[in-house]
Amino acid sequence: MPGPFRLLAPRRIERDSFPLRLDDGRTIEVARTRHPRARQLRLSVDERGVRLTLPPRASLASGERFAHQHRDWLAAQLARFAPAAAQGLVPGESVQLPLRGAQVPLAWREGRYACVRSGPDGVEVALPARAPPAALARALRDFYEAEGRADVGRWLARYLPGLPRPPRRLRFRPMTSQWGSLAPDGTVSLDLSLVLARPSAFEYVLVHELCHLVHADHSRAFWREVEARFPAWRAERDYFKAEGRALKGAARALFG
Amino acid sequence: MFFRNLTFFRFPASLDLADLESHLASHVLKPVGPMDMASSGFIPPFGRDAEALSHSIGDATWVSVGREDRLLPAAVVNDLLQKKLAELEAREGRRPGGRARKRLKEDLVQELLPRAFVRPGRTDAILDREHALCVVDTSSRKQAEHVVSALRDALGSFPALPPNAEVAPRSVLTGWIAGEPLPEGLSLGDECELKDPADNGAVVKCQRQELQSDEIARHLEAGKQVTRLALVLDDHVSFVLGEDLVVRKFKLLEGAVDALESTERDDLHAELDARFALMSGELKRLFAVLEPALRIGRADA
Repeated sequence: MPGPFRLLAPRRIERDSFPLRLDDGRTIEVARTRHPRARQLRLSVDERGVRLTLPPRASLASGERFAHQHRDWLAAQLARFAPAAAQGLVPGESVQLPLRGAQVPLAWREGRYACVRSGPDGVEVALPARAPPAALARALRDFYEAEGRADVGRWLARYLPGLPRPPRRLRFRPMTSQWGSLAPDGTVSLDLSLVLARPSAFEYVLVHELCHLVHADHSRAFWREVEARFPAWRAERDYFKAEGRALKGAARALFG
Repeated sequence: MFFRNLTFFRFPASLDLADLESHLASHVLKPVGPMDMASSGFIPPFGRDAEALSHSIGDATWVSVGREDRLLPAAVVNDLLQKKLAELEAREGRRPGGRARKRLKEDLVQELLPRAFVRPGRTDAILDREHALCVVDTSSRKQAEHVVSALRDALGSFPALPPNAEVAPRSVLTGWIAGEPLPEGLSLGDECELKDPADNGAVVKCQRQELQSDEIARHLEAGKQVTRLALVLDDHVSFVLGEDLVVRKFKLLEGAVDALESTERDDLHAELDARFALMSGELKRLFAVLEPALRIGRADA
């Protein structure tokens, strides 16, 4: 039986949005989330835009006032994230595709089914005339997953012998803020946008998750395991700090 | 002993399986204890009264993991618990509290377990050293992983991983149905599953359907992709290959079974031996076709 106050508070996450006028005359759309576990008003900005999080019983007016008070900060943050907001592919027009830290040439043709394949001179996309946008997104996602699996398969053989147990399986999926995770059952999940990153960074994330099979924490002992297998991990961590948002943004624009 | 479903795992080719038999012997199936819910361990592939815990022909080895589960349905326990609670309430004039109820339930389980039925079960697996491949006769990932972890416990180390396809299986399967050339020996069957690429998108399942027809072509044009596809290899085996790289409905056809029936055998052991020889041979042929088509990577460099 929940306590009396739990019954009053909404238990679900509610989402909507409201417009906010900035000092330079622009009007931006602020995503508003009411979260049952939020403790205070919170404004956050990333390449997807501005988000306001409200605790269960805060009023909408107080939220809008809060956003209005911080409009200068918002404008500065938006400017910071503007370069990371990537564009998706335009069928038949885009000529480049990000892959392994570089841009590879892209060719389009009409096909009987949606398919993205890499060939000797770049990547070729086949798309039926009537295909919905989701078909291209799915084909791109499958393409990146296959490329990622090829990379991981190559690296994994080197790292497996030193581990107490192998990972149970490998999953690739788009993740919001993490780059990878290791579930208690030994499943390694990797973010699909890693395939867009430079290969050494991707390899570092794999090593990081594999080392969690030795130590399921971020203790000094864990970092010693990482250091032993991948001495240059600091450079890769700095790379993610600098380029991470752009990578995630590019992946989201490509396959959602 | 013909496998119905095939779940693949790859292990490093350098793995030493020489004294497999002695490792398995220390992890044989023990009868489930009167107070245990389940037990599992290796059993002789030729049946529980046979001796050897593995059987090899060439570089293929057949092992079998047995299980004994006690069947104690939760509904039976709950029903008895309710009756006991009602009786106690009538006698004492109050409903027992949470802790007392929990203890009552535990007592009931203790009382019923020794009387519960024991359901035996087994899952077979073939270790193919030529392809560094472990094939488990199940389509359930949980059961397949159970067999692999039983092998891992017995051998100490068994770094087997699910196969890693370096090309999207969906796009390969869709390509085959859309008219791209199939690998040598493979031909289309009469069953497929098509999925819309959107999240929670439409699913079309066809059985006894001509796959290279206008109806299917319309679905492909609308952007649907093949997630399961029935295939036939050389008139010897038919199967359904899924995008998860699990082979379902694996069936040996007349072309393969003919060889088996032409010889007379009265001995069960010899019969099973012949079936295993046939099965492991067909598996090797199948994997030799699938491996390059789906670019399945090896577990070692």
